[in-house]
Amino acid sequence: MSKSSKYNGDDIWKNNVEKINSELFTLTYGSVVAQLCRDFNNNYHEVNNQLDKMGYNIGLRLIEEFLAKTGVRRCQTFRETSEIISKIGFKIFLNIVPTIENWSSDNKTCSLILPEPNPLTEFVELPITTDSKISKELWYSQILCGVLRGALQMVQLDVDVNFVKDVLRGDDRTEIRLKLNKVLKDEIPAGED
Amino acid sequence: MSNDNDIILSSATSMSTLTINEVSKDGFGYNPSVGPQSNIITPEASTFLLSSKKSIITNNPNSIYDKNIINKKNLEISLSSLAFLFCEMVNWCHSNSKGIQDLETRLNGLGYQVGQRYIELIKLREGFKTNKREVKIVEILQFIHGTFWKAIFGKTANELEKSQDVLNEYMITDNVPLMSKFISIPKEYGELNCSAFMAGIIEGALDSSAFFANVTAHSVPITGYPLRTVFLIKFDDSLSIRESLRS
Amino acid sequence: MKVYSIYILNKAGGLIYQNDVNPGLNRLSANDYLVLAGTLHGVHAIAAKVTPTINGKEVATNEYPNNQNAILLASGKLQDSNSNKSGLQSIETDLFNLYIFQTLTGIKFILITSPNPVVHNLQQINREVANKGELNKQYAQANEIFKHLYIIYSDYVMKDPFYSLDMPIKSSLFDTKVKEIV
Repeated sequence: MSKSSKYNGDDIWKNNVEKINSELFTLTYGSVVAQLCRDFNNNYHEVNNQLDKMGYNIGLRLIEEFLAKTGVRRCQTFRETSEIISKIGFKIFLNIVPTIENWSSDNKTCSLILPEPNPLTEFVELPITTDSKISKELWYSQILCGVLRGALQMVQLDVDVNFVKDVLRGDDRTEIRLKLNKVLKDEIPAGED
Repeated sequence: MSNDNDIILSSATSMSTLTINEVSKDGFGYNPSVGPQSNIITPEASTFLLSSKKSIITNNPNSIYDKNIINKKNLEISLSSLAFLFCEMVNWCHSNSKGIQDLETRLNGLGYQVGQRYIELIKLREGFKTNKREVKIVEILQFIHGTFWKAIFGKTANELEKSQDVLNEYMITDNVPLMSKFISIPKEYGELNCSAFMAGIIEGALDSSAFFANVTAHSVPITGYPLRTVFLIKFDDSLSIRESLRS
Repeated sequence: MKVYSIYILNKAGGLIYQNDVNPGLNRLSANDYLVLAGTLHGVHAIAAKVTPTINGKEVATNEYPNNQNAILLASGKLQDSNSNKSGLQSIETDLFNLYIFQTLTGIKFILITSPNPVVHNLQQINREVANKGELNKQYAQANEIFKHLYIIYSDYVMKDPFYSLDMPIKSSLFDTKVKEIV
């Protein structure tokens, strides 16, 4: 399948998405993160939590646009889900296509590697200070985890999402770990075949 | 930095009172006489930077320091992503606010930080082309209404007017403000206009250019444009003195 | 085809939006609308269980391509966003037609439209063909409206911070956009 997917979400991206300059998004997100750091007195665990919560709320809503603009069907495997997330989902919302790797043997856990630059972290550096607390605790792009968790829950997939690496912290790459807990079969709406 | 826990502090709300000798306590904002506050090297910071192994000049080929920011290729992103983020920003501000006025102030504050940074970026890019600095109110307003608006929102604003009644008041009108495009304000929220965020962007940009002002957003719908918003720009009184010296 | 009314049901079958875009239908009481919504929700689900069998085995109704995701990935082109396949899809009467569209998240969009055009006696010979053609045409038209409805729902309802999920939709911008569609 992957060989034939060279188009990714290109056609939808080109024709069905209203586009803006990514810098406005980058600066706006930066403003939000900085504000949360102030609101929580630099308690970065709280900041991560809040970003995750905001992302979750976004995910619950964003899934509708995703489905409306793509016509994605229920996936048969989690591998298919991950491919759709990366090639269609990330493409039409953030105009990037993360790579998927590091599959566990049971095909329920995998990693999304975000390309650089990406619209959340462009121009961003964590402050250089004598205390490395911020670069040990803050997951700057945590909102993405919430978005994925919320969106997948709406299509009856219970998934854990978290960051394991972030270039901003000095890691070699930015990596999100996805783990499928279960498919909520009882909640799948009647009428699909 | 005196306290390790105080890495990020509240941004300056007004800089009209800053002097050359003043160092912003907040570490944010732009003092036109000295440059961006956040970059000020205090003795403490310089000791740290010199002794730190983690140099700010990295070997990372993707480092922002190695890229040309002026002719960088513009990345595009879906408006929806911004709209969803904005939706959550309004929710967050709403849950923390004491009322509609407070909610608008918070949105304005979030925008302010964007405006401060964006004006630097746009000035850097456009400044090279036009080779000019705006020194009069009308000039800076034309810049905001045209170049600035176009760079941020992808279109120029609709109208730019001077208030008939009040000195130092100007209005920029946007028929379809980008950030509030999908938002219907319920009746019980009265005069609330979420474009307060955009007003904050303008305010941040103006303050950074040393045109100290208060900017507020007001809904003035007309047929066909239910979201039409007027950004009311109230310049600081000190500007009229400066203006009179320059005319 | 004239569209009389548009309803939106949340995934529990609660009526969260109703808009009588064109006059032509008798108005029901508020309670009756809720009953109608709940009933359609129930019948839709039951209908999904009514499947033809041959020798006790279910026959797969393969009207839609089930490799839609593969097509989407390969072409990058928008596919049909209606996931209502085995549930109740339409009701046709002499006085009105009713169509049901369901999203993967379980939201239902319902259209009530004018009935299929009358087929005259002159066309008797070709009646079956003509009828089917008209039928499909109207069904396709309804589906086209659904597709746009879903997109403006995702724009003007989902991106409105003052909307709470699963609750009635009060957005005036959404109302305006709905009118533009039909």
